[in-house]
Amino acid sequence: MAVDMQVVLGPLKLKNPVMTASGTFGYGREYQRYFDISRLGAVVVKGIAVFASEGNPTPRVAETASGMLNAIGLQGPGVEKFCTHPDYLPFLRSTGAAVIVNIWGRTVEQYAEVAARLNDEPGIAALEINISCPNVKAGGAAFGTDPALAAEVVGAVRRATRLPLIAKLSPNVTDISEFARICSGSGADILSLINTISGMSIDAYTRRPRIANITGGLSGPAVKPVALRMVWQAANAVSTPIIGMGGIMNGTDAAEFMLAGASAVAVGTAIFADPLAPVRVIGELEDFCRETGVEHVAELTRGLRV
Amino acid sequence: MQNGEIIFNTSLGGGYFHISFFAPEIAVKAAPGQFVHVRIADLRDRILRRPFSIEDADPARGSVDVVYKTVGEGTRFLSRCAPGAVCDLMGPLGNGFSPCPGEATPVLVTGGYGVAATRLCAKARPGGILLAGARSREDLLLLDDYRGFGYDVRVATNDGSAGAKGFVTELLKDLLAETPERKFAIRACGPQPMLMALAGMLPDAGYADAELSLDHLMCCGVGACFACVVKVRDGAGGWRYARSCAEGPVFKAGEVYTGE
Repeated sequence: MAVDMQVVLGPLKLKNPVMTASGTFGYGREYQRYFDISRLGAVVVKGIAVFASEGNPTPRVAETASGMLNAIGLQGPGVEKFCTHPDYLPFLRSTGAAVIVNIWGRTVEQYAEVAARLNDEPGIAALEINISCPNVKAGGAAFGTDPALAAEVVGAVRRATRLPLIAKLSPNVTDISEFARICSGSGADILSLINTISGMSIDAYTRRPRIANITGGLSGPAVKPVALRMVWQAANAVSTPIIGMGGIMNGTDAAEFMLAGASAVAVGTAIFADPLAPVRVIGELEDFCRETGVEHVAELTRGLRV
Repeated sequence: MQNGEIIFNTSLGGGYFHISFFAPEIAVKAAPGQFVHVRIADLRDRILRRPFSIEDADPARGSVDVVYKTVGEGTRFLSRCAPGAVCDLMGPLGNGFSPCPGEATPVLVTGGYGVAATRLCAKARPGGILLAGARSREDLLLLDDYRGFGYDVRVATNDGSAGAKGFVTELLKDLLAETPERKFAIRACGPQPMLMALAGMLPDAGYADAELSLDHLMCCGVGACFACVVKVRDGAGGWRYARSCAEGPVFKAGEVYTGE
Protein backbone atom coordinates (compact mmCIF):
# COMPACT_ATOMS: atom_id res chain seq x y z
CA MET A 1 0.00 0.00 0.00
CA ALA A 2 1.38 3.38 -0.98
CA VAL A 3 0.98 6.00 1.73
CA ASP A 4 0.27 9.57 0.65
CA MET A 5 2.76 11.57 2.71
CA GLN A 6 1.81 15.03 1.45
CA VAL A 7 0.48 17.49 3.98
CA VAL A 8 -1.05 20.93 3.65
CA LEU A 9 -0.70 23.49 6.43
CA GLY A 10 -2.81 26.44 5.33
CA PRO A 11 -0.73 28.16 2.64
CA LEU A 12 2.18 25.71 3.05
CA LYS A 13 2.18 22.46 1.09
CA LEU A 14 4.88 19.91 2.01
CA LYS A 15 5.92 16.63 0.35
CA ASN A 16 5.93 14.99 3.77
CA PRO A 17 5.28 16.17 7.32
CA VAL A 18 8.85 15.89 8.67
CA MET A 19 11.05 18.95 9.00
CA THR A 20 14.07 19.92 11.08
CA ALA A 21 13.84 22.03 14.23
CA SER A 22 15.55 25.41 14.03
CA GLY A 23 19.02 25.46 15.57
CA THR A 24 19.63 21.73 15.27
CA PHE A 25 20.34 21.50 11.55
CA GLY A 26 22.53 24.53 10.95
CA TYR A 27 21.82 25.93 7.50
CA GLY A 28 21.38 22.51 5.90
CA ARG A 29 24.79 22.36 4.25
CA GLU A 30 26.34 20.64 7.28
CA TYR A 31 24.12 17.58 6.70
CA GLN A 32 24.01 17.41 2.90
CA ARG A 33 26.87 14.87 2.96
CA TYR A 34 24.76 12.57 5.15
CA PHE A 35 21.59 12.65 3.03
CA ASP A 36 19.81 14.61 0.31
CA ILE A 37 18.17 17.33 2.38
CA SER A 38 15.53 17.95 -0.30
CA ARG A 39 13.92 14.68 0.86
CA LEU A 40 12.70 16.50 3.97
CA GLY A 41 9.27 18.08 4.23
CA ALA A 42 11.20 21.27 4.92
CA VAL A 43 14.55 22.47 6.21
CA VAL A 44 14.13 24.98 9.03
CA VAL A 45 17.35 26.95 9.35
CA LYS A 46 19.00 28.35 12.45
CA GLY A 47 17.64 31.75 13.54
CA ILE A 48 18.44 34.75 11.36
CA ALA A 49 18.40 38.38 12.54
CA VAL A 50 19.09 41.66 10.74
CA PHE A 51 22.48 41.70 12.45
CA ALA A 52 25.29 39.13 12.76
CA SER A 53 25.69 37.81 16.27
CA GLU A 54 28.34 35.85 18.18
CA GLY A 55 25.99 34.29 20.72
CA ASN A 56 26.66 33.35 24.34
CA PRO A 57 29.90 32.49 26.13
CA THR A 58 30.88 28.83 26.57
CA PRO A 59 30.07 26.24 27.83
CA ARG A 60 26.87 26.41 25.84
CA VAL A 61 25.46 22.90 26.29
CA ALA A 62 25.07 20.30 29.01
CA GLU A 63 23.78 16.78 28.71
CA THR A 64 20.91 15.92 31.06
CA ALA A 65 18.80 12.81 31.68
CA SER A 66 17.30 11.88 28.29
CA GLY A 67 18.00 15.31 26.92
CA MET A 68 20.20 18.36 26.91
CA LEU A 69 20.28 22.00 27.89
CA ASN A 70 21.51 24.64 25.51
CA ALA A 71 22.14 28.34 25.60
CA ILE A 72 23.87 28.90 22.27
CA GLY A 73 22.49 32.43 22.10
CA LEU A 74 21.58 32.56 18.41
CA GLN A 75 25.04 32.89 16.90
CA GLY A 76 24.49 33.65 13.24
CA PRO A 77 25.67 35.46 10.11
CA GLY A 78 22.89 38.06 9.85
CA VAL A 79 20.32 38.29 7.08
CA GLU A 80 22.49 39.97 4.43
CA LYS A 81 25.19 37.31 4.53
CA PHE A 82 22.51 34.61 4.81
CA CYS A 83 20.92 35.78 1.56
CA THR A 84 24.11 36.28 -0.42
CA HIS A 85 26.90 33.99 0.86
CA PRO A 86 27.14 30.68 -1.02
CA ASP A 87 27.09 28.65 2.22
CA TYR A 88 23.59 29.77 3.17
CA LEU A 89 20.48 30.57 1.13
CA PRO A 90 22.14 30.19 -2.31
CA PHE A 91 23.26 26.70 -1.26
CA LEU A 92 19.81 25.78 0.05
CA ARG A 93 18.20 27.01 -3.15
CA SER A 94 20.54 24.79 -5.18
CA THR A 95 19.35 21.68 -3.32
CA GLY A 96 15.69 22.20 -4.17
CA ALA A 97 14.73 21.79 -0.49
CA ALA A 98 11.69 23.58 0.92
CA VAL A 99 13.30 26.23 3.12
CA ILE A 100 11.75 27.77 6.20
CA VAL A 101 13.71 30.68 7.65
CA ASN A 102 13.54 31.12 11.40
CA ILE A 103 13.78 34.83 12.27
CA TRP A 104 14.43 36.78 15.47
CA GLY A 105 15.20 40.25 16.73
CA ARG A 106 15.65 42.27 19.86
CA THR A 107 12.89 44.71 19.00
CA VAL A 108 9.61 44.46 17.09
CA GLU A 109 11.13 46.65 14.38
CA GLN A 110 14.05 44.23 13.91
CA TYR A 111 11.64 41.32 13.42
CA ALA A 112 9.74 43.28 10.78
CA GLU A 113 12.97 44.34 9.12
CA VAL A 114 14.37 40.83 8.71
CA ALA A 115 10.99 39.60 7.44
CA ALA A 116 10.86 42.41 4.88
CA ARG A 117 14.41 41.68 3.71
CA LEU A 118 13.49 38.03 3.05
CA ASN A 119 10.27 38.90 1.23
CA ASP A 120 11.72 39.08 -2.25
CA GLU A 121 14.26 36.27 -1.93
CA PRO A 122 13.28 33.34 -4.12
CA GLY A 123 13.29 29.85 -2.66
CA ILE A 124 11.79 30.51 0.76
CA ALA A 125 8.69 28.46 1.62
CA ALA A 126 7.81 30.21 4.89
CA LEU A 127 9.08 32.26 7.80
CA GLU A 128 9.08 30.99 11.37
CA ILE A 129 9.08 33.66 14.07
CA ASN A 130 11.14 32.79 17.12
CA ILE A 131 9.31 34.70 19.84
CA SER A 132 11.29 33.17 22.70
CA CYS A 133 14.12 35.69 22.75
CA PRO A 134 14.29 38.62 25.15
CA ASN A 135 12.96 41.98 24.06
CA VAL A 136 15.52 44.70 24.66
CA LYS A 137 13.05 47.58 24.53
CA ALA A 138 10.71 45.98 27.05
CA GLY A 139 13.59 45.41 29.45
CA GLY A 140 14.29 41.80 28.59
CA ALA A 141 10.79 40.31 28.80
CA ALA A 142 10.46 37.55 26.23
CA PHE A 143 8.10 38.22 23.33
CA GLY A 144 6.78 34.71 23.67
CA THR A 145 5.71 34.95 27.31
CA ASP A 146 3.96 38.34 27.24
CA PRO A 147 0.61 38.19 25.42
CA ALA A 148 0.66 41.83 24.28
CA LEU A 149 4.23 41.60 22.97
CA ALA A 150 3.50 38.31 21.20
CA ALA A 151 0.54 39.90 19.41
CA GLU A 152 2.61 42.94 18.51
CA VAL A 153 5.55 41.04 17.03
CA VAL A 154 3.43 38.55 15.07
CA GLY A 155 1.31 41.42 13.72
CA ALA A 156 4.37 43.44 12.70
CA VAL A 157 5.92 40.49 10.83
CA ARG A 158 2.55 39.70 9.21
CA ARG A 159 2.42 43.23 7.78
CA ALA A 160 6.04 42.94 6.58
CA THR A 161 5.79 39.66 4.67
CA ARG A 162 3.71 37.90 2.05
CA LEU A 163 5.26 34.53 2.94
CA PRO A 164 3.40 31.90 4.94
CA LEU A 165 4.00 32.76 8.58
CA ILE A 166 4.70 30.33 11.41
CA ALA A 167 4.76 31.50 15.04
CA LYS A 168 6.96 29.30 17.23
CA LEU A 169 5.49 29.26 20.70
CA SER A 170 7.39 29.20 23.96
CA PRO A 171 6.38 26.48 26.45
CA ASN A 172 7.45 28.71 29.33
CA VAL A 173 3.92 30.03 29.88
CA THR A 174 1.06 29.04 32.14
CA ASP A 175 -1.55 28.71 29.41
CA ILE A 176 -0.35 27.71 25.93
CA SER A 177 -3.93 28.00 24.57
CA GLU A 178 -3.88 31.73 25.20
CA PHE A 179 -0.73 32.17 23.10
CA ALA A 180 -2.07 29.86 20.40
CA ARG A 181 -5.15 32.09 20.10
CA ILE A 182 -3.16 35.34 20.24
CA CYS A 183 -0.67 34.34 17.55
CA SER A 184 -3.38 32.93 15.29
CA GLY A 185 -5.44 36.09 15.76
CA SER A 186 -2.44 38.29 14.95
CA GLY A 187 -1.83 36.77 11.54
CA ALA A 188 0.15 33.56 12.01
CA ASP A 189 -0.88 30.96 9.39
CA ILE A 190 0.69 28.12 11.33
CA LEU A 191 1.88 27.52 14.91
CA SER A 192 4.95 25.54 15.85
CA LEU A 193 5.57 24.20 19.33
CA ILE A 194 7.32 23.64 21.57
CA ASN A 195 10.50 25.65 21.83
CA THR A 196 12.85 24.50 24.60
CA ILE A 197 11.78 24.51 28.25
CA SER A 198 13.78 26.79 30.52
CA GLY A 199 16.00 24.73 32.80
CA MET A 200 19.24 24.47 34.72
CA SER A 201 22.06 22.03 35.38
CA ILE A 202 24.54 22.29 38.25
CA ASP A 203 27.88 20.64 38.97
CA ALA A 204 27.72 20.10 42.74
CA TYR A 205 31.47 19.50 43.03
CA THR A 206 32.47 22.82 41.49
CA ARG A 207 29.26 24.51 42.73
CA ARG A 208 28.92 26.03 39.29
CA PRO A 209 26.17 26.01 36.67
CA ARG A 210 27.10 23.69 33.82
CA ILE A 211 26.40 26.29 31.16
CA ALA A 212 27.81 29.82 31.13
CA ASN A 213 24.40 31.41 30.68
CA ILE A 214 23.34 29.69 33.97
CA THR A 215 19.92 28.78 32.55
CA GLY A 216 19.26 27.15 29.21
CA GLY A 217 16.62 25.43 27.13
CA LEU A 218 15.83 21.77 27.73
CA SER A 219 15.20 19.53 24.72
CA GLY A 220 15.25 15.86 23.80
CA PRO A 221 13.05 12.91 24.84
CA ALA A 222 12.80 14.34 28.37
CA VAL A 223 10.42 17.07 27.14
CA LYS A 224 8.18 14.93 24.93
CA PRO A 225 5.28 14.46 27.37
CA VAL A 226 5.15 18.22 28.01
CA ALA A 227 5.30 18.93 24.28
CA LEU A 228 2.52 16.46 23.49
CA ARG A 229 0.30 17.99 26.15
CA MET A 230 0.87 21.49 24.80
CA VAL A 231 0.24 20.49 21.17
CA TRP A 232 -2.99 18.85 22.27
CA GLN A 233 -4.07 21.96 24.23
CA ALA A 234 -3.19 24.29 21.35
CA ALA A 235 -5.07 22.08 18.89
CA ASN A 236 -8.11 22.24 21.14
CA ALA A 237 -7.87 26.03 21.31
CA VAL A 238 -7.42 26.91 17.62
CA SER A 239 -8.01 25.43 14.17
CA THR A 240 -4.69 26.86 12.93
CA PRO A 241 -2.40 24.09 11.61
CA ILE A 242 0.32 23.05 14.05
CA ILE A 243 3.89 21.84 13.63
CA GLY A 244 4.61 19.66 16.66
CA MET A 245 8.04 19.07 18.13
CA GLY A 246 9.80 18.16 21.35
CA GLY A 247 11.87 15.01 21.76
CA ILE A 248 10.84 13.22 18.57
CA MET A 249 13.29 10.33 18.10
CA ASN A 250 11.37 8.02 15.74
CA GLY A 251 8.32 7.57 13.54
CA THR A 252 6.02 6.53 16.38
CA ASP A 253 6.90 9.71 18.28
CA ALA A 254 6.01 11.68 15.14
CA ALA A 255 2.67 9.84 14.87
CA GLU A 256 1.91 10.69 18.51
CA PHE A 257 2.40 14.41 17.82
CA MET A 258 0.12 14.23 14.79
CA LEU A 259 -2.55 12.38 16.78
CA ALA A 260 -2.30 15.09 19.46
CA GLY A 261 -3.13 17.68 16.82
CA ALA A 262 -0.07 18.42 14.68
CA SER A 263 -0.23 18.53 10.87
CA ALA A 264 3.55 18.25 10.62
CA VAL A 265 6.44 17.60 12.96
CA ALA A 266 10.04 18.69 13.48
CA VAL A 267 12.99 16.56 14.50
CA GLY A 268 15.62 18.41 16.53
CA THR A 269 17.87 17.07 19.26
CA ALA A 270 17.63 13.54 17.79
CA ILE A 271 19.83 14.79 14.92
CA PHE A 272 22.75 15.14 17.35
CA ALA A 273 22.45 11.45 18.21
CA ASP A 274 21.72 10.36 14.65
CA PRO A 275 22.35 12.72 11.72
CA LEU A 276 19.98 10.60 9.64
CA ALA A 277 17.13 10.95 12.17
CA PRO A 278 14.94 13.29 10.07
CA VAL A 279 14.89 11.00 7.01
CA ARG A 280 14.65 7.90 9.19
CA VAL A 281 11.56 9.41 10.82
CA ILE A 282 9.96 9.95 7.38
CA GLY A 283 10.40 6.25 6.59
CA GLU A 284 9.26 5.08 10.01
CA LEU A 285 6.18 7.31 9.91
CA GLU A 286 5.32 5.90 6.50
CA ASP A 287 5.77 2.36 7.88
CA PHE A 288 3.55 3.24 10.83
CA CYS A 289 0.80 4.41 8.46
CA ARG A 290 1.12 1.25 6.37
CA GLU A 291 0.98 -1.01 9.44
CA THR A 292 -2.05 0.76 10.88
CA GLY A 293 -3.98 1.11 7.62
CA VAL A 294 -3.58 4.85 7.19
CA GLU A 295 -3.61 5.78 3.47
CA HIS A 296 -2.89 9.47 3.89
CA VAL A 297 -0.61 10.59 6.70
CA ALA A 298 -2.78 13.69 7.21
CA GLU A 299 -5.50 11.40 8.57
CA LEU A 300 -3.43 11.11 11.76
CA THR A 301 -3.81 14.81 12.54
CA ARG A 302 -6.16 15.37 15.49
CA GLY A 303 -6.85 11.65 15.46
CA LEU A 304 -6.52 11.14 19.21
CA ARG A 305 -9.26 8.98 20.69
CA VAL A 306 -10.40 10.36 24.03
CA MET B 1 28.77 7.02 9.60
CA GLN B 2 29.36 3.41 10.30
CA ASN B 3 28.98 0.77 12.97
CA GLY B 4 32.16 0.08 14.87
CA GLU B 5 32.40 -3.26 16.59
CA ILE B 6 34.70 -3.13 19.60
CA ILE B 7 37.83 -5.23 18.95
CA PHE B 8 39.32 -4.59 22.39
CA ASN B 9 38.75 -2.14 25.24
CA THR B 10 41.59 -2.39 27.74
CA SER B 11 42.53 -0.45 30.84
CA LEU B 12 45.80 1.45 30.78
CA GLY B 13 45.50 2.15 34.53
CA GLY B 14 44.73 5.48 36.18
CA GLY B 15 41.24 5.58 34.65
CA TYR B 16 42.58 5.53 31.08
CA PHE B 17 41.41 3.06 28.47
CA HIS B 18 42.48 2.08 24.98
CA ILE B 19 39.59 1.05 22.74
CA SER B 20 39.79 -0.27 19.20
CA PHE B 21 36.85 -0.28 16.79
CA PHE B 22 36.49 -2.24 13.57
CA ALA B 23 35.54 0.61 11.23
CA PRO B 24 37.35 0.14 7.91
CA GLU B 25 35.78 3.08 6.07
CA ILE B 26 36.95 5.47 8.77
CA ALA B 27 40.35 3.77 9.11
CA VAL B 28 41.11 4.42 5.43
CA LYS B 29 40.33 8.13 5.66
CA ALA B 30 41.59 9.05 9.14
CA ALA B 31 44.29 11.72 9.27
CA PRO B 32 46.34 12.94 12.26
CA GLY B 33 44.32 15.21 14.57
CA GLN B 34 40.90 14.16 13.32
CA PHE B 35 38.25 12.72 15.60
CA VAL B 36 35.43 10.20 15.69
CA HIS B 37 32.05 11.06 17.20
CA VAL B 38 30.86 8.02 19.08
CA ARG B 39 27.36 7.03 20.08
CA ILE B 40 27.99 4.66 22.93
CA ALA B 41 26.18 1.34 22.60
CA ASP B 42 23.14 0.92 24.86
CA LEU B 43 23.66 4.20 26.70
CA ARG B 44 19.96 4.86 26.58
CA ASP B 45 19.21 7.90 28.70
CA ARG B 46 22.29 9.79 27.52
CA ILE B 47 21.62 10.71 23.94
CA LEU B 48 24.62 12.78 22.88
CA ARG B 49 27.70 11.45 21.14
CA ARG B 50 31.21 11.71 22.58
CA PRO B 51 34.05 13.05 20.42
CA PHE B 52 37.42 11.29 20.70
CA SER B 53 40.70 12.05 18.96
CA ILE B 54 41.85 9.23 16.73
CA GLU B 55 44.89 7.67 18.38
CA ASP B 56 45.59 5.14 15.65
CA ALA B 57 44.05 4.02 12.38
CA ASP B 58 45.12 0.90 10.53
CA PRO B 59 43.59 0.65 7.06
CA ALA B 60 44.92 -2.92 6.65
CA ARG B 61 43.16 -4.18 9.79
CA GLY B 62 40.26 -1.77 9.42
CA SER B 63 40.74 -0.55 12.98
CA VAL B 64 40.28 2.88 14.51
CA ASP B 65 41.68 3.39 18.01
CA VAL B 66 40.93 5.88 20.76
CA VAL B 67 42.50 6.48 24.16
CA TYR B 68 40.06 7.95 26.65
CA LYS B 69 39.78 8.73 30.32
CA THR B 70 36.71 7.92 32.39
CA VAL B 71 35.51 11.39 33.29
CA GLY B 72 31.74 11.04 33.38
CA GLU B 73 28.83 8.72 32.96
CA GLY B 74 29.37 8.20 29.21
CA THR B 75 33.03 7.25 29.40
CA ARG B 76 32.46 5.10 32.50
CA PHE B 77 29.76 3.23 30.59
CA LEU B 78 32.07 2.92 27.57
CA SER B 79 34.80 1.45 29.77
CA ARG B 80 32.45 -1.43 30.63
CA CYS B 81 31.60 -2.23 26.98
CA ALA B 82 32.99 -5.63 25.99
CA PRO B 83 34.55 -6.64 22.68
CA GLY B 84 31.79 -7.47 20.23
CA ALA B 85 29.59 -4.56 21.36
CA VAL B 86 28.83 -2.12 18.57
CA CYS B 87 29.03 1.66 18.76
CA ASP B 88 27.86 3.99 16.02
CA LEU B 89 30.76 6.14 14.76
CA MET B 90 30.72 9.36 12.75
CA GLY B 91 34.04 10.23 11.22
CA PRO B 92 36.70 10.96 10.58
CA LEU B 93 35.59 14.51 11.44
CA GLY B 94 37.34 17.86 11.74
CA ASN B 95 40.41 19.42 10.22
CA GLY B 96 43.48 17.64 11.55
CA PHE B 97 47.16 18.52 11.72
CA SER B 98 48.90 19.35 8.46
CA PRO B 99 51.86 17.18 7.44
CA CYS B 100 55.16 18.25 8.89
CA PRO B 101 57.28 19.95 6.17
CA GLY B 102 60.32 17.91 5.11
CA GLU B 103 63.00 20.27 6.37
CA ALA B 104 61.51 20.78 9.84
CA THR B 105 61.78 18.59 12.93
CA PRO B 106 58.35 17.67 14.32
CA VAL B 107 57.85 18.77 17.91
CA LEU B 108 54.73 17.39 19.51
CA VAL B 109 53.65 19.12 22.72
CA THR B 110 51.02 17.29 24.73
CA GLY B 111 49.19 17.46 28.04
CA GLY B 112 47.49 14.47 29.63
CA TYR B 113 45.71 12.23 27.16
CA GLY B 114 46.24 14.87 24.46
CA VAL B 115 49.25 12.64 23.76
CA ALA B 116 46.81 10.32 21.96
CA ALA B 117 45.78 13.01 19.45
CA THR B 118 49.31 13.59 18.13
CA ARG B 119 50.30 9.92 17.93
CA LEU B 120 49.36 9.67 14.24
CA CYS B 121 51.62 12.67 13.56
CA ALA B 122 54.53 10.68 14.97
CA LYS B 123 53.52 7.58 13.06
CA ALA B 124 53.39 9.57 9.81
CA ARG B 125 56.67 11.34 10.46
CA PRO B 126 59.10 9.41 12.69
CA GLY B 127 62.15 10.93 14.32
CA GLY B 128 60.89 14.02 16.10
CA ILE B 129 60.64 15.29 19.63
CA LEU B 130 57.78 14.63 22.05
CA LEU B 131 57.29 17.00 24.95
CA ALA B 132 54.78 15.22 27.16
CA GLY B 133 53.20 16.93 30.14
CA ALA B 134 51.02 15.27 32.73
CA ARG B 135 49.70 15.81 36.22
CA SER B 136 51.61 12.86 37.56
CA ARG B 137 53.57 9.74 36.56
CA GLU B 138 50.42 7.61 36.10
CA ASP B 139 48.99 10.15 33.65
CA LEU B 140 51.86 9.61 31.20
CA LEU B 141 50.61 7.51 28.30
CA LEU B 142 51.91 5.99 25.05
CA LEU B 143 55.49 7.16 25.56
CA ASP B 144 56.92 3.83 24.38
CA ASP B 145 54.94 4.15 21.16
CA TYR B 146 56.61 7.48 20.50
CA ARG B 147 60.03 6.01 21.34
CA GLY B 148 59.21 3.27 18.83
CA PHE B 149 58.68 6.02 16.23
CA GLY B 150 62.18 7.27 16.99
CA TYR B 151 61.05 10.22 19.08
CA ASP B 152 63.19 11.96 21.67
CA VAL B 153 60.72 11.87 24.58
CA ARG B 154 60.97 14.58 27.24
CA VAL B 155 58.61 14.64 30.17
CA ALA B 156 57.28 17.18 32.65
CA THR B 157 54.87 16.41 35.49
CA ASN B 158 53.13 18.90 37.75
CA ASP B 159 54.14 16.96 40.86
CA GLY B 160 57.63 16.05 39.70
CA SER B 161 56.92 12.30 39.94
CA ALA B 162 58.47 11.82 36.48
CA GLY B 163 60.72 14.02 34.38
CA ALA B 164 61.01 17.72 35.10
CA LYS B 165 58.71 19.20 37.73
CA GLY B 166 56.45 21.81 36.19
CA PHE B 167 54.65 22.52 32.97
CA VAL B 168 55.35 21.15 29.52
CA THR B 169 55.41 24.72 28.19
CA GLU B 170 58.70 25.15 30.08
CA LEU B 171 60.18 22.18 28.18
CA LEU B 172 59.21 23.87 24.94
CA LYS B 173 60.74 27.20 25.98
CA ASP B 174 63.98 25.35 26.85
CA LEU B 175 63.99 23.53 23.51
CA LEU B 176 63.44 26.73 21.52
CA ALA B 177 66.16 28.54 23.52
CA GLU B 178 68.69 25.74 23.26
CA THR B 179 68.61 25.46 19.46
CA PRO B 180 67.30 28.75 18.07
CA GLU B 181 68.65 27.98 14.61
CA ARG B 182 66.64 24.76 14.22
CA LYS B 183 63.36 24.76 12.37
CA PHE B 184 60.55 22.98 14.15
CA ALA B 185 57.04 22.03 13.13
CA ILE B 186 55.07 22.32 16.36
CA ARG B 187 51.83 20.42 16.92
CA ALA B 188 50.03 20.39 20.26
CA CYS B 189 47.05 18.90 22.07
CA GLY B 190 46.16 19.08 25.74
CA PRO B 191 44.07 20.90 28.31
CA GLN B 192 42.76 24.38 27.51
CA PRO B 193 45.16 26.29 29.85
CA MET B 194 48.18 24.60 28.25
CA LEU B 195 46.97 25.39 24.74
CA MET B 196 46.18 28.99 25.64
CA ALA B 197 49.68 29.37 27.11
CA LEU B 198 51.11 28.03 23.84
CA ALA B 199 48.89 30.35 21.79
CA GLY B 200 50.23 33.20 23.91
CA MET B 201 53.93 32.39 23.53
CA LEU B 202 54.37 30.75 20.11
CA PRO B 203 53.54 33.65 17.74
CA ASP B 204 56.15 35.84 19.51
CA ALA B 205 58.68 33.00 19.21
CA GLY B 206 58.19 32.92 15.42
CA TYR B 207 55.79 30.00 15.47
CA ALA B 208 52.44 31.57 14.57
CA ASP B 209 51.98 28.57 12.27
CA ALA B 210 52.24 26.05 15.14
CA GLU B 211 49.10 23.94 15.20
CA LEU B 212 46.95 23.56 18.31
CA SER B 213 44.09 21.12 18.70
CA LEU B 214 41.45 23.03 20.65
CA ASP B 215 37.93 22.04 21.39
CA HIS B 216 34.99 22.68 23.63
CA LEU B 217 31.98 20.64 24.77
CA MET B 218 30.76 19.26 21.49
CA CYS B 219 27.30 18.32 20.40
CA CYS B 220 26.54 17.75 16.68
CA GLY B 221 30.19 17.33 15.55
CA VAL B 222 29.54 18.73 12.07
CA GLY B 223 29.20 22.48 12.54
CA ALA B 224 25.44 22.73 12.81
CA CYS B 225 24.74 23.48 16.47
CA PHE B 226 27.44 26.03 17.44
CA ALA B 227 28.01 24.46 20.87
CA CYS B 228 31.77 23.84 20.66
CA VAL B 229 32.95 27.31 19.70
CA VAL B 230 36.37 28.73 20.54
CA LYS B 231 37.57 32.33 20.20
CA VAL B 232 39.71 33.03 17.13
CA ARG B 233 41.05 36.32 15.81
CA ASP B 234 38.66 38.05 13.42
CA GLY B 235 41.40 39.84 11.47
CA ALA B 236 40.31 43.25 12.76
CA GLY B 237 41.82 43.18 16.24
CA GLY B 238 38.85 41.41 17.79
CA TRP B 239 37.58 37.88 17.99
CA ARG B 240 34.84 35.67 16.65
CA TYR B 241 33.56 32.27 17.72
CA ALA B 242 34.70 29.43 15.44
CA ARG B 243 33.17 25.97 15.61
CA SER B 244 35.93 23.64 16.81
CA CYS B 245 34.28 20.58 15.23
CA ALA B 246 34.04 21.97 11.70
CA GLU B 247 36.54 24.84 11.49
CA GLY B 248 38.97 23.03 13.85
CA PRO B 249 39.75 21.26 16.06
CA VAL B 250 43.22 22.20 14.80
CA PHE B 251 43.89 25.94 14.64
CA LYS B 252 47.12 27.84 13.98
CA ALA B 253 48.59 29.41 17.12
CA GLY B 254 48.40 32.82 15.45
CA GLU B 255 44.67 32.39 14.84
CA VAL B 256 43.74 31.66 18.44
CA TYR B 257 42.47 34.67 20.39
CA THR B 258 44.18 34.83 23.76
CA GLY B 259 42.54 37.97 25.24
CA GLU B 260 39.63 38.03 27.66
